Amino acid sequence: MKTTRRLMLGAAAVAAVMAASLAEPAGAAGTTPDFSGAWGAYPGPRGGPPDPKLAAPAATPLLLKAKYKAPYEELRARQIESDKRGEPLSNASTACLPTGMPGMMFAIYPIEFIQSDKQVTIIAEAMSQVRRVYLDKPQLKIEEVPPGYYGHSVGKWEGDTLVIDTVGVKETVLGNRDMPHSDQMRIQERIRLVGADVLHDQITIVDPVVLEKPYTYTNAYRRMPGYEMLEYVCENNRDYIDENGVTRMRLQSQ
Amino acid sequence: MRWAKRGFLAAAVLAAASAQAHHSFAMFDHVNRVTLSGTVTQFQWTNPHVFIELDVPDGSGSIKHYSIECASPNVLQRIGWKFTDVKKGDKITLLINPLRNGAAGGMLETATLADGRVMSDGNPPGGTFAR
Repeated sequence: MKTTRRLMLGAAAVAAVMAASLAEPAGAAGTTPDFSGAWGAYPGPRGGPPDPKLAAPAATPLLLKAKYKAPYEELRARQIESDKRGEPLSNASTACLPTGMPGMMFAIYPIEFIQSDKQVTIIAEAMSQVRRVYLDKPQLKIEEVPPGYYGHSVGKWEGDTLVIDTVGVKETVLGNRDMPHSDQMRIQERIRLVGADVLHDQITIVDPVVLEKPYTYTNAYRRMPGYEMLEYVCENNRDYIDENGVTRMRLQSQ
Repeated sequence: MRWAKRGFLAAAVLAAASAQAHHSFAMFDHVNRVTLSGTVTQFQWTNPHVFIELDVPDGSGSIKHYSIECASPNVLQRIGWKFTDVKKGDKITLLINPLRNGAAGGMLETATLADGRVMSDGNPPGGTFAR
């Protein structure tokens, strides 16, 4: 009798474990996908033409509300005109400031994913930027998050897709194409493998103050097997801003 | 973004992404390139840019000093450079995009190192870069 009971208990335990594993978020192969490792922009500067099936789809139109549209277009025109003159305007990078969110996900230099059950950590080589996506915490109200470069990110797995919500990005941290945003911005990301070695991060900017409609674009990445991320400390910044707001390069001969 | 340039311009254009690319190039003349031959006084393997400091004889007995900006160590390492590739005292030749304001500086295009190797700065091949 004892043996039978033990066997039954054992079988029940096995069934419970199986049920628990079935209840876990299922990826394409029935498990959570693994994004761990280093990724570079796809196709990358020496990657040749992209496979149309793997390339990032086109962005949606950027529709700013009238109050923000005019100053934004004026800024873009000034940038173009200044560049033509050979006197580029300064921006955050001129001062060695990081890109923050969502700019760091552009992966101008490689990015690295570190993944656990409770957290996905993303490191950008450029400026050694770090963001943490909590998988086991609820999102905070926007007004509870001190404005910063990366905001507060929570995520969950929906099948093969990591879905992330981010709030609390400082208004001075400009977005894609230098687009402005308000303190009400939410960044919604859907990250998934579109091929064995190509990952997409579809980014939707939702900002009822600045945008007429949410703005969606996609960053595509290629896997960089074995790549060791490099450090990046902005210690030798020769850029300076002259009295006219123009970026100049400091020379030893000066 | 100055640190976000060379070698990544192509990617930036393809991805139509952020403002992170262009204006930094604007400081340099990408058409009227200049060749400098001289002696290295410093090789700075630093972010946001690697710099080669170069003394260049002007042919009449004096020396003009140039500061040449390269890509970042990250970009250069990925295309095969080592931090030991250039040393003080090396005689090297640089093809550069000079500063448009005429000051004694520029941006590297290719370097012929003391051992004869020709190294790129990570620009797309074929001189298609921002021209």
